[in-house]
Amino acid sequence: MTDPTTGVPSPTAAGAGAAGAPAADEGHLVLRDLVKTYPGRHGAAVRGVSLSVPRGAMLAVLGPSGCGKSTTLRMIAGLVAPSAGSVLVDGKDVTGTPAHHRDMGVVFQSYALFPHMDVAGNVAFGLEMRKVPRPERERRVTEALELVRLDHLARRRVSQLSGGQQQRVALARALVVRPTVLLLDEPLSNLDAQLRTTMREEIRRIQQETGITTVFVTHDQHEALSMADRVAVLHEGRLEQLGTPQEIYERPASRFTAEFVGRANLLPATVVAAASAGEAAAAEVEVPGIGRITAQGASPAPGEPVTVLLRPHRVVLDAHDPDGGIARGTVLTAGYTGETVAYRVRVGGSGPELDVELPSGSHRPSAPGAEVGVSWQQGAARLVPAAPRSGGDAEAADGGGPAGDRDPRGGAA
Amino acid sequence: MSAAAPGTETGSDTGSTTAPGAERPAPGRWTPGRTAAALLLPGLVALLLTYAMPLVWVARMAFNEPLPGGAIRQTLTLGTFADVLTDGHYWRVIWQTVELGALVTVFTLLLSYPLALFLARTTTRWRGLLIALAVTPLLISSVARTFGWMAILGNQGVVNKTLQSVGIIDTPLQLANNLTGVVIASTEIYMPFAILVMISGFGRLDPELERAAASLGAGRLAVLRRVVLPLTLPGVLTAGLLVFVLSLSGYVTPRLIGGGRVFVLATEIYDEAITALNWPVAAVLSMLLLVLFGLVIVVYTRLQRFVERRILGERGAAS
Amino acid sequence: MRTGPAGRAAWVALLVVLYLFLLAPIIVVLVVSFDDATFLRFPPEGFTLDAYRQVFANDDFRSAIQVSAVTASITALLAVVTGVPAALALSRVPFRGREAMESAFLSPLLVPNIVLGLALLVLFAPIPLTDTYTGLILAHLGITIPYVVRTVCASLAGADPRAEEAARTLGADTFTVARRIILPTILPGVVSGGVIAFLLSFDETVISLFVSGQNVTPLPVAVLQYVEYRSDPAVAALSVCLVVLSVVAVVFVERSLGLRRSLRSG
Repeated sequence: MTDPTTGVPSPTAAGAGAAGAPAADEGHLVLRDLVKTYPGRHGAAVRGVSLSVPRGAMLAVLGPSGCGKSTTLRMIAGLVAPSAGSVLVDGKDVTGTPAHHRDMGVVFQSYALFPHMDVAGNVAFGLEMRKVPRPERERRVTEALELVRLDHLARRRVSQLSGGQQQRVALARALVVRPTVLLLDEPLSNLDAQLRTTMREEIRRIQQETGITTVFVTHDQHEALSMADRVAVLHEGRLEQLGTPQEIYERPASRFTAEFVGRANLLPATVVAAASAGEAAAAEVEVPGIGRITAQGASPAPGEPVTVLLRPHRVVLDAHDPDGGIARGTVLTAGYTGETVAYRVRVGGSGPELDVELPSGSHRPSAPGAEVGVSWQQGAARLVPAAPRSGGDAEAADGGGPAGDRDPRGGAA
Repeated sequence: MSAAAPGTETGSDTGSTTAPGAERPAPGRWTPGRTAAALLLPGLVALLLTYAMPLVWVARMAFNEPLPGGAIRQTLTLGTFADVLTDGHYWRVIWQTVELGALVTVFTLLLSYPLALFLARTTTRWRGLLIALAVTPLLISSVARTFGWMAILGNQGVVNKTLQSVGIIDTPLQLANNLTGVVIASTEIYMPFAILVMISGFGRLDPELERAAASLGAGRLAVLRRVVLPLTLPGVLTAGLLVFVLSLSGYVTPRLIGGGRVFVLATEIYDEAITALNWPVAAVLSMLLLVLFGLVIVVYTRLQRFVERRILGERGAAS
Repeated sequence: MRTGPAGRAAWVALLVVLYLFLLAPIIVVLVVSFDDATFLRFPPEGFTLDAYRQVFANDDFRSAIQVSAVTASITALLAVVTGVPAALALSRVPFRGREAMESAFLSPLLVPNIVLGLALLVLFAPIPLTDTYTGLILAHLGITIPYVVRTVCASLAGADPRAEEAARTLGADTFTVARRIILPTILPGVVSGGVIAFLLSFDETVISLFVSGQNVTPLPVAVLQYVEYRSDPAVAALSVCLVVLSVVAVVFVERSLGLRRSLRSG
C-alpha cells in the first residue's frame, strides 16, 4: 500500500488527529478544543475539536447531519460564539473578534445573496465596507466576476439567476475582499447532480488559482474526497480522523469513518499473531466462518477482538473455481447497477455476509444460489482500530450483531 | 442574561491580541437580552400607556360605586356587580347579545363556507382577484358598509322598493330597526373575516384526497361528508370563534341598523358611559363581556380538541 | 369533485349570489351617491355629483376629514417607529421570554374595542386627554402597533437571516446590517404595516366615539352621528370616498406584501 501525499505539508501525524491536540501553531488556521453547548439542549453540539489547516490548503469537514460540522464552521466565521476553546489565524487568537472584523469569506448553503442588490452590488458590498475607493472597487468586482465567469451578468438581479450562477456570485462576493480564510457551508448541496460535478472542479480551480486557505463543510464523501487536500471526519461533535483523502478511505482510524466514507464490510475477528510493526504493520487474525487471514494495520495483543475492514470493490468472486479462493461462498442476491454488479455473498455455510462490487463487463454475472470462490486483493483486508473514545461501544456492537454490516450508514446512525 | 462574548474568557489567557481597531464589545454590552430590551422598549411603553393601563383602570372602575348625577365614589365594593346581576334588564341585554352572536355566527359560517371552499380549491388565474374581492370589505369602514345596509333594508330601501314595485308586498317589510336587520348586516360585515380564516385553515385540503376518495367509489355527497367536511371543520370552528367574538362586541351595526331598538352589551356599555355617565356600571358590563369572551374561548378549545381527535380517529380507522 | 353541467351551473349561481351579498352595501352606496334626490331612494332617478360637492361644502365633514387624516398619519408613523424595532427584536434577537413578548405585542387584538374604548375614556378623561389629538392618537396607537408588528414579522420571516450573517462576515457591523440589508429587504412590509395602521386609524369608530368630543371629531364619528338623524346621498358620497381610500390601500398592500399575510388573524 502506498502512502499518498498531496504535496501539502502535514502539520499532524497522519490519522492521529483524534488522539489528542495536534501541534497546532504551525497551521494557518488552527482550532483548539472548540466546544459549543446550547442551553437547554442535551449534550454539546461540538465537543472539543482541534485541528489545523496549512496555508493554502483545502480542508473538508465531513460528517452526517447533526455532527456539529456547520456549528464548527460558524464558530470559525465568528457567527457563533464558542462555549470553550479558541480559533487562531496566523497564530493570533481571534475567538473574541466579531464576525465583521474577522476577514473571512463565507459562502452559505442558501448562498444568502442580498435580494435587493444586483450581482455587482452583491460583490461590491464587502469592498464598500472596507472603504475601497470606487475605481479600484469596480476593477476588483470585474476581476472577481471574471474569476467565476459571470462578468457578463454584472447588472442582473440575483433573483433572475440560476442556482449555479447564484453559487458563483456568492463565491465571488466572498473572494473579492481577499479574505484570509474562505469558508464554504455545504456549497454544492442545492445544485443538481450534473452541476455539482462542474462546480466541484470550478471551486477547486478557483481555490488553487487564488491559493486561499479554505474550509468547506459537506456531508457528501465524494465531494470531500475529490476536492480537499485534507479531510476531517466529524462524528457527534468529535473529530474522528484528520488526514488526506487516501488516508481517510484506505486507513480509516475508526469504525465510524470506515462505514461513513465509502461502503464497507466490517468483520469481527480475533488476533492470532501480530506480524510486524511500523508502517507495514500487519497481523494474522481469525475471522469466524472464513478462517485465518492477514490484515494490514497495527493490532492489539493476540487473543484480543478486532474489526477487519473489506471494501466491497476489492473483493473478487470466481464462479469457475469455488474452492480456489480464500473462502467458498454462496451468492444471495445480485443487482445490476450499470457500472457495477453488486452482490451479497454468504461466506461458508453460516459465515458472514459480504457486500461485493464487481465492474460489470469484467466477469460473467453469477445468479443467486451460485457457488463462488471468494478472495480479495493483496492488502485489501485492513484492521480498524477501536474508536479512540467510544471504543467500548463499538466492540459491544460487534459482538452482538451478525458479521458484516449491511448498510454502511445504518450502523452509525 | 450574561451571555457575554465568550471570547472574553478565552481571549484573556492568550493576551487578547486582536487588532487595535477591532471592535471588542465590553463584557455585557449588547447582549441579546439588552439589545432586545432596547428594541422593545418604545413599543412596550406605547402598549403600557394605550392598552395595559387603561384595562387596569377600567377593571378598577368596576369596583367603584356610582352616585346619582354621574358622580363616582372611590371604594372597593362588589355592589355594582350585584346591582347589575340582579337587574332583569341587563340579563335581557346579555341574552340578546348572545342570541345575536349565535345567529350571526351560524349565518356567516353557512354563507362563507361555499365561498371559502371555492377560493381554496379553485385553480383559475383570477383566484388572487377573487380572494381580494372577498376579503377587501374587511378593510372598508364598517360605518360606510352599515350605511349601505341601511339603504338596502330601510322602509324606502332597495329590498322593499323592489318587492313593492313587483307587487309582491303592499306594506314595507320590517327589515331595519330590529334584530332581523342587524343579523343580516352583521352577517355580511363578518363574512370577510370568516372567509379569510377559512382559506388559511383549509390548507390541509388536498385535492388528491378527494380524487382518491372518488376513485374508491365515493359519490359527491359522500366525498363532501366524509372527506371535505371533516378536514375543513377545524378552520370552520376557528372562523366561528372569531365571528362570534366579534359580533358579541359589535357596536356600529346594532346601533345604526338597530335604530335604538336592539340592546346588546356594546350599545349598553356606550349608553351607560356616555349618556348616563355611569362609569362603574359600564365597567361592570365590560367585565361581563370579557367573561363571555373567556367562556367562548374555553368552549372553542374543547370543541377544537374534540374535532381533532375525531378526525385522527377516523384516519386511524381508515388505514 | 366533478359535477354535471346542471350542478356546475347551480354552483356558479350560488357563488355569484354570495359575492353579490358580500358586495351589496358597497354597490348600493356607490349608486346612491350619484342620485340627485335629497333623500335616500333606490333605484336612483338622476345622475349628479351634488352629493360629493355637499360633502366638501359641509364644514363638519371637512374638519372631520382633516382630524382623521392628521390622526391617522401620526398614528401610522408612531406605530411604525415603535413597531418595527419590536418586530426586529421578536424575529431576530434570541432572548429569553421571546414568546411571551410576542403574545404581549399581539394581545391588544384580543380585547374588544368597546371595552378598550371605555378603558381609554376612564384613564384619559381625568387627565384630561379626551377630545384632544394626543388622546385620539394614543388611543389608536395601541390597536395599530400589533398590525405593524405582525406585517413586519411576516416580512422578516420571508427574509433569509443568512444574508444578514453574510453581510457581517463581509465587514458590516450591526447598525450597517440593519440599514443596508434588513431595512431594504423588509421595506414593503414596513410600508404595508404603516398603510394598514393608517387605514385602521382612519376607519376606527368605536374607540374614537369614547375619546373624541366636540373639538376633535374624526370622520367615522362624524358620519355615525350624522347618519343617526339623517340619511341622504351626501353620506353615500362620503362612504364612497372611504371605500376608494380603502381599495387604494388594499391594492398597495397586496402588491407589496400580500393581503392575506398582512391580515391573517391570530
